[in-house]
Amino acid sequence: MINFEKVFKRYPGNMDALQNINLEILPAELVFVTGPSGAGKSTLLKLISSVEKPTSGTIVFENMNLSQLKTKDIPYLRRKFGMIFQDHKLLYDRNCFENVSLPLAINNIGGLDINRRVRAALDKVGLLNKEKIMPISLSGGEQQRLAIARAIVSRPSILIADEPTGNLDKEYADEIMNIFYSFQQVGVTVIISTHELPITPIKHKKIHLIGGELKDQTNYVQLLS
Amino acid sequence: MFNYFHNHFQAFNRALVRIFSNFGSSLMMFIVIGVTLFLPSSGLLIVENISQISNNIVYDAELSLFLKKDIKQDQIDFIQSALNKTLAIKKTHFESKLTAWDKLQNKLNLNPLNTGISENPLPDAFFISLNTFNEREINNLIDNLKTIDGVENIFFDAGWIKKLRSILYLLKIGLAFLGIILIIVLIVVIGNTIRLQTLTHKDEIEVSKLIGATNSFIQRPFMYTGLMYGLGGGLITICTLKLTIEIFNKAAFNLEVMLGGTFILKNLIWQQNLSIIIIAILIGCFASFFAAQQSIKKLEIFK
Repeated sequence: MINFEKVFKRYPGNMDALQNINLEILPAELVFVTGPSGAGKSTLLKLISSVEKPTSGTIVFENMNLSQLKTKDIPYLRRKFGMIFQDHKLLYDRNCFENVSLPLAINNIGGLDINRRVRAALDKVGLLNKEKIMPISLSGGEQQRLAIARAIVSRPSILIADEPTGNLDKEYADEIMNIFYSFQQVGVTVIISTHELPITPIKHKKIHLIGGELKDQTNYVQLLS
Repeated sequence: MFNYFHNHFQAFNRALVRIFSNFGSSLMMFIVIGVTLFLPSSGLLIVENISQISNNIVYDAELSLFLKKDIKQDQIDFIQSALNKTLAIKKTHFESKLTAWDKLQNKLNLNPLNTGISENPLPDAFFISLNTFNEREINNLIDNLKTIDGVENIFFDAGWIKKLRSILYLLKIGLAFLGIILIIVLIVVIGNTIRLQTLTHKDEIEVSKLIGATNSFIQRPFMYTGLMYGLGGGLITICTLKLTIEIFNKAAFNLEVMLGGTFILKNLIWQQNLSIIIIAILIGCFASFFAAQQSIKKLEIFK
């Protein structure tokens, strides 16, 4: 599904964020990108979602070479991904319903379909009763769940989450992780960057980065104790 | 197709929400556009009214044909018959020097003994109304009339109208330049406001880009905002013009009672009003389109 071949990313000032990354992410995989701060986790996710371009190397997604993607095609590529951020990136002047409906409007989906799909997404993350509430009134965990609802509403094949539990306490973090596992189980590819690998009850892949280099790429099946 | 219009409707709605949520500053923008467009529009109104007056006056234009002082009656009869045969002439009126002298004395209350004028200084004259208003035909006629024996001088009484028309023409050119300059000013003002709005909605733009919005999708509400600024400004211009005309005509009516003259400003016709609104809307759209496009490009997250 996603292939990295000899990917380098260098920022101005000769700072290597990623060096010689070779990896493969398969459909319906749950992937954890781990590593300390500055390891290149966010950069890796930005390269997948075409927020950044690699300095060299090839990234192939569904037979598209992302390194050679034209600027005008990038928005259409991004619509294939559901993006979740550590700081949620919600629109605080719009209510929950309007926040979740934004990707549908961008995808030219309108009318009754919007209503049905937004309510389904909110229901999935347990926020159906809060559709008219402004995000500022929600707790941190609820805000992240709202961000997840926005990411899944357009039914993407890949969910990309950059430190989605970074600002949450353990109770909320587990709640969010469980939502991700449920998506992976219905065939969605989930890529999550995180400082620490959580205890996962299902099969997952770990991509461990240190100083921009890929140190470990292993498949695990971890069972709850 | 339905979804396309639905999205445009949503963008329009979002623009409306933005305008009403900052109604104070939106109203200021309407007034700025309205007053700026009022300047050339009121100029146009005045020029249009004066043009109408000058057009009406030209129908009363006459040639004054003055004869030599020592002209004989048979020569006068010959000129009269020549004038009657000329197609470009509608009607002629002969004023003998004696009649003219009597009229002048009566009008100015002159007594020849007191003024020291020993003889009638006025010539015999024909006053000619024309069938044509074509400048070349009138000049040809004057040239022909000058060749007739006994004709001393010819005056085209509408000469001042030509000057007035030239002044009006220059005024129109001046107004066009003023209009262009003010349109540029409006584009800059609206553009700057829209640019500031894009900065206010920076987060929204970035999030929209991250989840796959095209630049044109992000631009849409800003364009509708510009369109509404133009519409509001255009309506203010028309209302201000109508109010000005009402106030002016009321004052003119009072003066008419005192001075006996009439000068009533006529409203611009509906096509001209519609043109003002369309121009205002186009300015709003044009300015917001370029300002939003530039700002959104600057907020590009793709590196």
